[in-house]
Amino acid sequence: MARRAGGFALLLPLSFALPSTSPLHAQATGTITGRVVDAENGQPIAAAQVTISGTQLGRATGDDGRFTLPNIATGSATLIVRRIGYQQQSRTVTVTANGTATADFSLAKSSVSLAGVVVTATGIERRKEVGNAVTTVSSADFEKAGAGNTQQILQGRSTGVTILANGGSPGSGGTIRLRGVNSVTQGNRPLIYVDGIRIFNGNSPTGVSSRQSVSPLNDIPAADIERIEVVKGPAATTLYGTEASGGVIQIFTKRGRDGKAVWTLDANAGLNSMGDFGPPTDPTRMFVKTCRGPLMVDANGTPFEDATCPESGSWLKNGFLGRYSLGVRGSSGTINYAISGNLENEEGVLRVGTNRTGGMRANLGFSPIKNVTLALNTSWQRRNTAMISDGNSADGYLLNVSRGPGSNFKGSGCSNTTVVCTVNDTLFSKSNTIAGDHFIIGGTATWTPIEAITNRLSIGIDYNNNDQRTINPFGFLRSPLGIYYQTLWNRQLITVDYATTWKQTFGSAFTGSTAVGGQLFDSRLNSTELQGDNFAGPGVPTLVSASLRQISDVNQQRVINAGLFAQQMIGWRDRVFVTAGARIDGNSAFGQSFGLQTYPKLSGSWVLSEESFWPTSLVETFKLRGAIGESGKAPGAFDATRTWNPVAAEGGLSAFTPGQLGNPNLGPERTRESEIGFDAGLLNGRLGLVFTAFNARTTDAIINVAYPPSQGFTANQPENVGAIKNTGFEASVTANYAPTSWLDIDARLQFTKVQGEAVDLGGRVLTIDALSRSYVQEGLPLPAYMGRKVMNPDAFEAPIIQENQFIGQTFADKIINPSVTLTLFKNLTVEAVGEFQRGGHLLNAIGYQNAGLRIWQPCFEAQKALDAAAKGDASLLATVPAKDRMKCSTVSSNRDYSYWVESADFFKLRNLSVAYEVPKRLAPGGRPMTVQLAGRNLFRQTNYTGSDPEVADQRTSTFSRRDYYVFPPYRTFLFSVRTSF
Amino acid sequence: MPISMNFSIPARRVSATTLLVGATILSGCDFTVTNPGPLLDADLNNPAAVPALVNGMGGDLSNAIGNYILRGALASGELRHSGNYAAEKQFAAGQIRPEDVNGDWARMQQARWVAENGLVRMKTVLGSAFETNPNVTRAYVYAGYANRFLGENVCETVIDGGPKVASTEHFVRADSLFTRALTLAQAQRNTALTNAALAGRATVRAWLGKWSDAVADATLVPASFRHNAVFSINTSRENLNLAYETITRREVTVFNTVWVADRDARVPYDTVRTSSGAFQTGQDGATRFFRQKKYITLGDPVALARGAEMLLLRAEAALRNNDVVGAVSLINQARATSTLPAVTAATADAAWTLLKRERGAVLWLEGRRMWDLRRWLAENRDATLQGKSTCIPISQEEVGANPNLR
Repeated sequence: MARRAGGFALLLPLSFALPSTSPLHAQATGTITGRVVDAENGQPIAAAQVTISGTQLGRATGDDGRFTLPNIATGSATLIVRRIGYQQQSRTVTVTANGTATADFSLAKSSVSLAGVVVTATGIERRKEVGNAVTTVSSADFEKAGAGNTQQILQGRSTGVTILANGGSPGSGGTIRLRGVNSVTQGNRPLIYVDGIRIFNGNSPTGVSSRQSVSPLNDIPAADIERIEVVKGPAATTLYGTEASGGVIQIFTKRGRDGKAVWTLDANAGLNSMGDFGPPTDPTRMFVKTCRGPLMVDANGTPFEDATCPESGSWLKNGFLGRYSLGVRGSSGTINYAISGNLENEEGVLRVGTNRTGGMRANLGFSPIKNVTLALNTSWQRRNTAMISDGNSADGYLLNVSRGPGSNFKGSGCSNTTVVCTVNDTLFSKSNTIAGDHFIIGGTATWTPIEAITNRLSIGIDYNNNDQRTINPFGFLRSPLGIYYQTLWNRQLITVDYATTWKQTFGSAFTGSTAVGGQLFDSRLNSTELQGDNFAGPGVPTLVSASLRQISDVNQQRVINAGLFAQQMIGWRDRVFVTAGARIDGNSAFGQSFGLQTYPKLSGSWVLSEESFWPTSLVETFKLRGAIGESGKAPGAFDATRTWNPVAAEGGLSAFTPGQLGNPNLGPERTRESEIGFDAGLLNGRLGLVFTAFNARTTDAIINVAYPPSQGFTANQPENVGAIKNTGFEASVTANYAPTSWLDIDARLQFTKVQGEAVDLGGRVLTIDALSRSYVQEGLPLPAYMGRKVMNPDAFEAPIIQENQFIGQTFADKIINPSVTLTLFKNLTVEAVGEFQRGGHLLNAIGYQNAGLRIWQPCFEAQKALDAAAKGDASLLATVPAKDRMKCSTVSSNRDYSYWVESADFFKLRNLSVAYEVPKRLAPGGRPMTVQLAGRNLFRQTNYTGSDPEVADQRTSTFSRRDYYVFPPYRTFLFSVRTSF
Repeated sequence: MPISMNFSIPARRVSATTLLVGATILSGCDFTVTNPGPLLDADLNNPAAVPALVNGMGGDLSNAIGNYILRGALASGELRHSGNYAAEKQFAAGQIRPEDVNGDWARMQQARWVAENGLVRMKTVLGSAFETNPNVTRAYVYAGYANRFLGENVCETVIDGGPKVASTEHFVRADSLFTRALTLAQAQRNTALTNAALAGRATVRAWLGKWSDAVADATLVPASFRHNAVFSINTSRENLNLAYETITRREVTVFNTVWVADRDARVPYDTVRTSSGAFQTGQDGATRFFRQKKYITLGDPVALARGAEMLLLRAEAALRNNDVVGAVSLINQARATSTLPAVTAATADAAWTLLKRERGAVLWLEGRRMWDLRRWLAENRDATLQGKSTCIPISQEEVGANPNLR
C-alpha cells in the first residue's frame, strides 16, 4: 500500500469528503472529529491541515482548532496533521459505521520542518521531495508586525530577498530582488502568482514629477494573505520558464474553513512620523525638520526665510494611518468561503501625500461533481494615491526646500525685504495622483479521476487600470497657465495553466511522480500619455481645459508566452528523491528565426535523518538537497523585429523613419543556476538551520549593441551577447528556547550574501546612467559606480585623484536579518525584526548639488576653509580631509558626482511589536481578541549623508540608483485590535 | 482503495509523447506580436507606403541639417558661442571631436541611407511604375542632397558599415543621383525638381573639379530659384533647432562675428537688451547676445539650393579662369536677386575676397560655410580654418560599431 497525500494542500480548503449522495456509492461511513493544539501552551491551532492518508479527504481546522471529517469509509484511517512551524503528526483511528472516532493532536513546534508541502510549477510537492530552498512566510509570522502590504511582509523575513523602499510617499512601490541580479537590461523582478494566477510583476508608470510609482503587488492587503512562498533562483524556477530567472513569489490568500461562519475584524489606527533622515550633522535636516529660525543660513552665513513655513517651524507633521478589514470565513453546505473587505487611509508626514485604498475579496470553494473541486478567487482593490513632487523634478519638495535660498519658489511675505524669501508651500498645489483599480479573478479546477492522478486547471486574469495625473494648476508659480500630464495605463495578464500529476509506486522501495503541463500567458499593455498646456482659468482641469494638447505616446502591446513542461520524480524508500524535468517555451518577443527554447532541470534531496545510520539523537532532522536548472528572461516585446516609426515630416505630412534594427535570431537570456544546501533540525526542533549556496551564470545576456549608424538604424539593438555571474549563499538559524513556563523565546538570524558580476560584455562598458556614474563593466559588480576617486580620502592633505576608478557596487551584497520573538505568559508577544544591509552604495546627488549651491550644511566648514585657502590662507584647511576638499569644492573643474557616491550600509529596526491576547474573561463577549502595538522603521543607523540609503528616483532608471532629492521613508506606529466572533 | 501500480513505462511514454505533441502545438501557436505603433519593415513593401517613405526621406534630411547648422556655424565662425552646451563650446573653439559628433554623423548617414535604401525598395515595390512615379524623383533629389550634405561636411566616410573611403565618394554618388533625378523630372515635366536636380548637380560637379560641367548646369537654373529643406512648428522633430536655440534659449550669438561691422541684409540680426537697457547676455551669462534673425520661427525653411548660389558658382568658375570682369558681373547679378547695389573689384585677389564674402552672406547659417572654408584652405585661398577642425570626423559610435574601421 502506498497511499500518498501529495497534491492535496492546494485543494485542501476546498476539498470535501466524497459526497455519498449517490446510492451507487453508498457504503458504511463514519465521522472523525478532533482538535489540534499547541503542545507547549495548549492553544488551539487554526488552519492546520488534517488529511486522511492515501485519499483526497481533508479539512482545515477552525479557529478553535477543531475539525470534523464526515463520511469516512469504515475501517482504519490514518490522519496526518500538518501546519507550518510545527512538526507533522499522524495517528491511526478506527472508523465504525455511523460512529464518531476522535483524534486529538498536540503539535510540537519545529524550527525546521520537512513536513508539509510547497506549491511548485507542477502542483503540490512535499517539502521533503523538493531539491530547492523554498521560504514560506505565513500569516502567523507577520500578523503581529503591523505590515500593510506584501513588500512590508517580506521585509526581513526571508533569506535572499532584498527590498528597498525607494521613497517616502505613502503608496510608493519598492524594489524587490530575489538573489540579486541576473539581468542587465531585462529587469530582475520576480514573477508573482496570486492563488495560481500570474499578476503583472512590475510597477505602474513612474509619475512625471512624483518620480515614484505604485506597485500592484501591494494591492493585496496583508489581512487577506494566508502565506507567501518565495522561490529563489533559476534552479528552482525552471518549470516557470522564460521570465522566471528573477525568481517567483507565490501569494496564497485566505480560504474558506470548515465550520460555521467566523467573522474577523481587524482595526488598526496609528500615525506616521518622520524618524531620522538626512545628514546627521545638519540640525535643520535639509531645512525640512526646521524651516524657521537662526539656522536658516547658507554657507556664507547669509540668512533666508520661508514665508510659508508652517506655524510649528517644521514642514514635518504626523500623518494618520487607519487600516480596517472585516472578513468572514466558514462553510455552508458544500461551499466554503472566505469573504473580506478592507479599507485603508494613510497620510504621509508632509501636508500632501496620501494613500487611500479599499477593496473586496471573495474566495469560494466547492465540489460540483464527484472528484472535482473548484476554487474561485475574486478580488478588487481600488487605490487613490496622492504624492508629493519628488526627486529630480524642478517642482520637487526636497529639491526646493533643501536648496534654501536657491528654491524655485520665491515670493513675498517674509519678515523683511532684504532676505531671500521663499514660498515653498505653494509647490504643494501641484498634484501627483495615481488612481487605480486592480482586479484579480481566477479559478482553479482540480479533477482527481483516480487516487493517483490529479489534474489541475487554473484560468484567470489580472487587470490593472491606472490613471496617473500630474497637474500644475492655473496660477502655479512656475507655470502660471498650468500644465496637465495624464497617463492612462492598462495592463492585463491572462493565465491559462494546466498540469497533471501521476503518482506511481514501483515495488516496495520506489515511488514516482510524473507531471506534465502547460501554461499560456497573454500579456497586454495599453497606455496613452497625454499632455496639455495653458489652461483658460482656474478649476480642476482636464485635457480639454488646455489650449495646447498633445498625445505624447500611445503604446499597445500584446505578448504571448506559452510553454510546456514535463517532470519525473523518483523516490527511494521515501527518503531519497531525484527529480528531472524540462520546459519548452515559445514567446512573441523571440526572433522569428529563433524558435522554441528549452530549459532543463535536475534536483535531488536526501533525507539523511531517516537513514538508520544517522545519529538522530544529535540532529533529528536533516535533509541534503541540490539542484541545477535553467530559466530565462524574454527580450522586450519588439526587440526582435525591424520597425519604422511613424513621424510627421515635410510640414506635417505622414512619414516613416527607421526605428529598431531587429534581429530575427534574438532569444531569451538563459540563466543556469546550481544550488546545494541542507535543512537541519536539532534539539527537539528547537534549533533549525537552513543553508543554501548558489552559483548562477547568465549566458546570452541581452545587451544593447550599437551598430554602425551608416547602416541607417541608429538605435542600439538588443543582442544575446553577454555573460553574467551571480553567486552567494543564504543561511538562517532559528532557535526556540523556553527557560521557564511563562517565557518562550524564538530567535532567528538570516544571512544572505549575493554578489553579481559582469563576466563578458565583449569588452563594452555599458552606461546605465551616466549622471549617476552607474556602469556595467566586465569584472565588476552590476551595476557599479565608477568615476573619479579620492585615493587618500581621510588624509589631511591635498587630494590625490584618479580617474575611471571603481567606487562601489550599487546593491548590498550582505543582508543580515536578526529577529526575536518573546512570548510571555503565553499571551503577550514581543517581536523585533531588524535588517542590516552591507556593501551597497548610493549616489548622494543632493549633497553634490547643494554643496555646489553652498547650501549643504555638512560642507559649510570645509567651504569656509577652501574659500580662505583660495585667498591665500590655507591654515583652516589643515582640519579638512582630502575627500571633503573635493566634495565641498565649488570650483567647477573639481566638482564631480563620483565623490558623492557613499556607502549605503544601514541597520533598520523594521518592526517592533507587542501583542497581547486578551484573556476570554476580559474580552467583550468572551471573544478571541488580540490588541497590539507595532512600530515600523523605528530606528535607523547609517553613515550615509543623503536623504536615506534606501531611496532612489525611479524615473531615470530602475537599475541604477540615485538619491536625487528623494524624500525619505518615515516610521509608523500602529495600534490594532483583532477579534473574531 | 489500495492501489499499487507500475506506471514506469507508460509514464515515460506519456511524458515523451506529451513533450513532442506539446512542441508541435507550441510551434503552431500564434506568437505574432501585435503592435499598432511602429510599423514592421515588411509593411513598407507596398506602393501605398511610398509617399510616406519619401516624406520620411525629407524629414530625415531636414532633421540632420536642422540639428547641424548651429554646430557648423560655430565651427566656421558664422556665429559665436554664448551658451552652456559643452560640445558646442568645442566646435566654437575649432575642435570637432569624434565623441561629440555621434548624433550629427548618425542623422546625416541615416538621411542618406533612408533615401538610397528607399529607392532600392521602391524599385521592387513599384516595378514598371518606378520611372513615372513623381515620388521617385523626389527621392532621388533627397538622396542627392543627403550625399552632398555629407560630402561637404565629413572628413572621410563609410558607406553602409563598409570600410573608410574619401568623402568625395558622396559627391560622386550625388552626381549620379541628381542625374537620375534630372532625367525623371524632365520626363515628368516637373520644373521645380528639374531645377533642384540641376542646382544640386552643379555644386557637386564643381566640388569634383568639373567646373565647366558645373557652369553648364548652373546656367540653366533661374536666378530666383530656391529649393528648401522643410521645417515646421507641427512637431518638435520638425522644428528648426537653430531657431529654438536663439529664440527660446540664447546659446549662440552674432556678436563678435565679421557680420557685426559688415552689415548685410542677407545676414539679419538684432541686439537684445534687458529691461534695464543693458545688453542681454547669452545663456552663459557672459557673452553679449546678438540674435540671428534669418530664422524667426521654429518652422522656417533652410535653403538647399538657390539661384544666387548658381550665379556665385559661375563667378567662382570665371575667377578660376582669371575672368575678373565676368566674375564681378555674375556677383552683382547674384546681389541683384537680393536688390543689393553693385560692387566692384579691380584685381583677382579683390574679386576672390568679394566672392568669399558674398558666398558667406548668401549661404549664411545653411550648413555650407565650413566646406567653402575647407576647400579654399586646401587651395591656399583662405586661412580662416588654419589650425582648426575643417570637417566632421567619423563618429566614435561608428568607429566602435563598424568592424571595418578597426
